[in-house]
Amino acid sequence: MSRPVLIVGGGPAGLAAASALTAVGQRVVLVEKAERLGGAPILSGYAKLVPSGEWAKDAIGGMVRRVEAQPLATVRLRTTVASLKGGPGDFNAEFSDGAAVQVGAVILCTGFTHFDSLNKPEWGFGTYPDVVTTAQVEQMISAGTGVRCPSDGRAPQRVAILLCVGSRDRQIGRPWCSKICCTVSANIAMEIREQLPDCHVYIYYMDIRTFGLYETKYYWRSQEEFKIKYIKARIAEVTSDGQRLIVKGEDTLVKRPITIPFDMVVHAIGMDPNVDNKSIATAFGVALEPNGYLERGNSYGNTAETSRPGVFVAGAAAGPETIDDSIAQAYAAAARALPLVHPAQASA
Amino acid sequence: MPIHEQSLIRPEDLRTHDQLVVDGVDVSGHWSTFIHSRVVSDYNEELQEQIASLPGGEHIHRCWQCGSCTNACTVNAINPDFNPRFWIYLVRMGLESELLRDKEIIWQCVSCNKCTYVCPRDVFPEGVMKALSHWLELKGHTRKSPAMVFDEVFTEQVIQRGRIEEGRLIRRFFARTGQALGQDWLVEMARRLLRHLPLGLLTRMGLASLRAPRTRGWSGARDALNEYVQEQSAAHRRALGLSELIETARQDASGASGG
Repeated sequence: MSRPVLIVGGGPAGLAAASALTAVGQRVVLVEKAERLGGAPILSGYAKLVPSGEWAKDAIGGMVRRVEAQPLATVRLRTTVASLKGGPGDFNAEFSDGAAVQVGAVILCTGFTHFDSLNKPEWGFGTYPDVVTTAQVEQMISAGTGVRCPSDGRAPQRVAILLCVGSRDRQIGRPWCSKICCTVSANIAMEIREQLPDCHVYIYYMDIRTFGLYETKYYWRSQEEFKIKYIKARIAEVTSDGQRLIVKGEDTLVKRPITIPFDMVVHAIGMDPNVDNKSIATAFGVALEPNGYLERGNSYGNTAETSRPGVFVAGAAAGPETIDDSIAQAYAAAARALPLVHPAQASA
Repeated sequence: MPIHEQSLIRPEDLRTHDQLVVDGVDVSGHWSTFIHSRVVSDYNEELQEQIASLPGGEHIHRCWQCGSCTNACTVNAINPDFNPRFWIYLVRMGLESELLRDKEIIWQCVSCNKCTYVCPRDVFPEGVMKALSHWLELKGHTRKSPAMVFDEVFTEQVIQRGRIEEGRLIRRFFARTGQALGQDWLVEMARRLLRHLPLGLLTRMGLASLRAPRTRGWSGARDALNEYVQEQSAAHRRALGLSELIETARQDASGASGG
């Protein structure tokens, strides 16, 4: 019997890697530090996913159930990896609970951490209860309570979504684009308009990056069908007049300062490198790239590879990533891992 | 002038005082140049829907601000302040106070439609300009010009009679704009017409002026046109949140005095 493949992280990428490998009869050990599988979409309570429109609890929940029902997958919850010794085809992984396992390959699917808006105090998060994050709005929608102002539970009449909160901001050491927040914000804006037709939604942007096919499905649909307003302005500060939130900035296309009252302000928070990446890098002996994500090898000859042979990476662990692409990368990583545990088949 | 960003300051916002003392400090002269606040403090969330409800403005929400319309614009080549791209943005974002600053030039569109052909998003900017002028007029932001009164008199006569009679048109246009009929150029023109025109033609003109002829069987068309015009203007006024009464009153007045 060949050695199992170790998959670290039970989010979309980890679940997809587990499905890919078990589908061809390969044993896997899936370790997850949280108490349940599902990753950010489940643990943070996402609502409808981009671009399928399926509820996260159905789409990602389905992936969880398939892995849990798979006899070839050993799932270890509340577990991290303390150290990894050995080389390709012959690794020895030691877990946080002292147990150890011999594995042939490792796939890191350790994901990201949501940006903490407290790091941008000028935008009012933590000071005013009606300043929330996209993750919180996702939770309001997925919990079925609807979008309401946390201060008094009223339905907002006017909502501002601020893009690039914790992204593209050298001031706080986060120069990267988090890639998906523009599209997620357009999706949330349409959801708000659908739930609350009298509520107007404004998106304050630096650039809009609803890339690829999202251009029509999110950027234009949100404007043409849902009358979402996009205003080119980086907001200077969010304050309050005691009743409503006051958003201050400059409408750069009109060259005019704006001071507009809002009921709710939503931060489109970006993807930080996983807060544990430094200990992950130490435990697995892999390098981090300058921003703090796991460093990738080149995509042409060494797809899904990290700096350490036999240790692969998929999903947002290596940089901001969409769910769909995380899943695709996990399949690529599975294809790279398989020859290390089935060398005979690989050469056949 | 101690102000560095001159281009951002509109002349009407400048305040200068030759003699001004504030809290016992003499701040006369250029030290006392104050600027009214430039801050936009709210959005008019109805504005885009209002423009979209007027003929020509239907596709304004498609605009992505590329500026092709302004680059192609005939009027912009002469007056750089004439900027359809900018006005479309103001309407879309509900920046009504900014839009009204340009109310005196918006109507200068010559309808050449270069913007219409160049627009990659099929916004029909020329139509938007028509809708904007219409909106300014309905909202009372544009003074009624003599040309607008002339158009009204002309249209009323066509609708009522199916044709126009120039003498009546001129008389009513003058009456409505408070101009005297005995203007020198008009008297001179009438004198020369009487002197030079053949008698038969003069007779027919005279009779037409007295009898005010009507296209045969016109009443059906007149009623249909009146109904349509009233329906449309009522719909437009409703969409702009205006009462429908003014339009009805004017129709009544013209109906009573026409004939």
